[in-house]
Amino acid sequence: MAVLKQGLVVPLLFAILIGCDGNENKLTAELLYWSSNNPYEIEFADSVVSLWNRLNPEEPIVYQPVPEGRSSEEVILAAVVGRTTPDFYSNIWQGDVEFFAQSGVLVALDTLNGFMDFLYDRCDSSVVEEIRSSDGHIYQIPWKINPIMMIYNVNIFRENGYPHPPVTYKDYLEAAEKISIDRDGDGYFDRWIGYRRIMATWWQRFFDFYPLYLGASGGAKLVDRNKVLFDNKYAVQVFRFLKTLYDKKYFTRESLSARQDAFLNSDIATRFTGPWEIVHAEKFKPEGFDYGFSPLPVPDDSIEAVYTYGDPKNIVIFNTCKQPEKAWRFLRFMMNVENDFLFLKMTTQLPRRKNLFKSPLFRQYFEQHPKMLPFARQALYVRGTDTCARLKEVFDIISQEYEACVIYGTKSPEQAIHDAAAAAQVILN
Amino acid sequence: MKKGKLTPYLMVSPYLLHFSVFVAFPVIFSLVLVFHRWNIIAPMQWVGLQNFNHLINDRLFFRSLINTFIFLLIHIPLQIIVALALAEFLNQQIRLRAFFRAAYFLPVIISGVVVTIVWQQLYGFDSGLFNRLLTTVGLPKIGWLIDKRLAMSSIALMATWKNVGLYVVLFLVGLQSVPLHYYEAADMDGATHWQKFRYITIPSINPTIFMVVVLSTIGGFSLFIEPYIMTGGGPLNSTLSAVLYIYKQAFTYYHMGYAATLGFCFAAVIMLVIFIQKKFIEKD
Repeated sequence: MAVLKQGLVVPLLFAILIGCDGNENKLTAELLYWSSNNPYEIEFADSVVSLWNRLNPEEPIVYQPVPEGRSSEEVILAAVVGRTTPDFYSNIWQGDVEFFAQSGVLVALDTLNGFMDFLYDRCDSSVVEEIRSSDGHIYQIPWKINPIMMIYNVNIFRENGYPHPPVTYKDYLEAAEKISIDRDGDGYFDRWIGYRRIMATWWQRFFDFYPLYLGASGGAKLVDRNKVLFDNKYAVQVFRFLKTLYDKKYFTRESLSARQDAFLNSDIATRFTGPWEIVHAEKFKPEGFDYGFSPLPVPDDSIEAVYTYGDPKNIVIFNTCKQPEKAWRFLRFMMNVENDFLFLKMTTQLPRRKNLFKSPLFRQYFEQHPKMLPFARQALYVRGTDTCARLKEVFDIISQEYEACVIYGTKSPEQAIHDAAAAAQVILN
Repeated sequence: MKKGKLTPYLMVSPYLLHFSVFVAFPVIFSLVLVFHRWNIIAPMQWVGLQNFNHLINDRLFFRSLINTFIFLLIHIPLQIIVALALAEFLNQQIRLRAFFRAAYFLPVIISGVVVTIVWQQLYGFDSGLFNRLLTTVGLPKIGWLIDKRLAMSSIALMATWKNVGLYVVLFLVGLQSVPLHYYEAADMDGATHWQKFRYITIPSINPTIFMVVVLSTIGGFSLFIEPYIMTGGGPLNSTLSAVLYIYKQAFTYYHMGYAATLGFCFAAVIMLVIFIQKKFIEKD
């Protein structure tokens, strides 16, 4: 009987232990790559991995989309805890990397053969500094960006006497006064210049305060080496501009998220968004609807190039990877100019490389896809996020003050920015 | 060990296993976390009583506690009044009684997320049904979810609609257990309908009322889905419930140690409230 029990229990325990390790590829020479679960990116990963495996059968790569979860970040976190991380992952949000780097779960890529040469060849030195971790190492490869710009309804602006989109806060507010109207005569506006969802959640600020702050300040940092830097006139200008939009009801406080697309339905004339909007607009726009993209408005005295938030997603190698050099060889291949071009073509997202317009491949693409051209131009002037493991908390604090000042007007812009900076400094100390 | 002695242990082992894994271990682990800083993936760091020190100075947590109590203060009386009124109505010999009983119970079994999303649309400032009705009769629009003075009341109203069916059933059971001869005697003495309700019905269903209070309190303390979906805790933190705040600390910022500390503190508050309620019940 005891033998029988042992005979059952031992294989069962073994099966459970093996089953707990989701990386069955660890037993083989294959490396596991997790891509984004966006269908276009899955298609790209499939193409590039297939090509690599054909050319390098001795160094096979397997890929799978990041498993479904509430957010890919939570999935990655769960994988790190369960030691079931892939060997490498594309599509990690730049703001998350420092958290994972400080926790010691990423490979320092600058220790890999030829990495820094590759990086300086691909990106400007400002990008290299932007992604450098607080310990001096680099844990991520800049891969792609989706610059936040302003989509505008060409017809609405033209009907109101504006052949071009607004450039400055003054232009935008002037246009807002004409465009925001009460169409059904009930005494309340039902067409607005723009809309932002009222949520004091950290990531919402990547579509209003943060890109506007970068635009106003010429790409200044919010925090640097745990020191808060945003208690300045640029942040105040942004809060004042947005506050005016809500005070004058040019932006609605109502949630428009569960009804027909407010932009395509001409209920709003502008939206701060990324190039993903093109695919959506082309698919669902009504007959005769025309739209364009332009940089976000800047303060009236602004003379610098208009920076914006690039929403960068990068690539990391996890320290569970037994062959980081092999992973790196594949990643170099995945980010060569031909594959970057393939990526752009298949996903309508921009690779984060400095020489987009130098390559005839890319030039030709932008000529054929003029809606993408503003994003390609804007790509020269984008910033990611600052290196800070507690960045979400900083953005949540800004969101709290944003809500108090911009949405509900209970604080002046100066006071709100000052309070946000002071509170953020406390958590960074 | 003899087979006969082993049997009871085998019988309780499934429960013991479940209890150990899903109750005892999380509680003990949380207790350990209270004295540590831990972001899930990095090793834990011993911080002693630092989390408690942080808690004492955390105004937002106390704000979230006050918000939760405001929700309870609105939700519980409203729930009792509406549920009792409906139960009294459904206890009469009316047509389609079975249909109404089922209809009032229906929201209880609908997903909380679905109900919340639908009510978010009903509460919409410009295009919501409620404000459309108000403007139709010439009244001004109300900022149901965007006015900080009203947002928690709006959530409490929705929660009442969602849960009232359950309490209607409980009250119906209570009402039907009141002996009919009490009412017959009152009729003979010439009591009005209100007097019968006040002096016979209410005292007779007191145990049910207290049960509803306790159940509503426990349910109210776990307020999460509604503010999470409808308002994100806003406007100006006026709907930030204690559970939502603890969730944010744990799963947005990964401050597991601090979230555990908040959790224990909140559990102590709940126990205190339930203890006070229990004293009232025993006194009654």
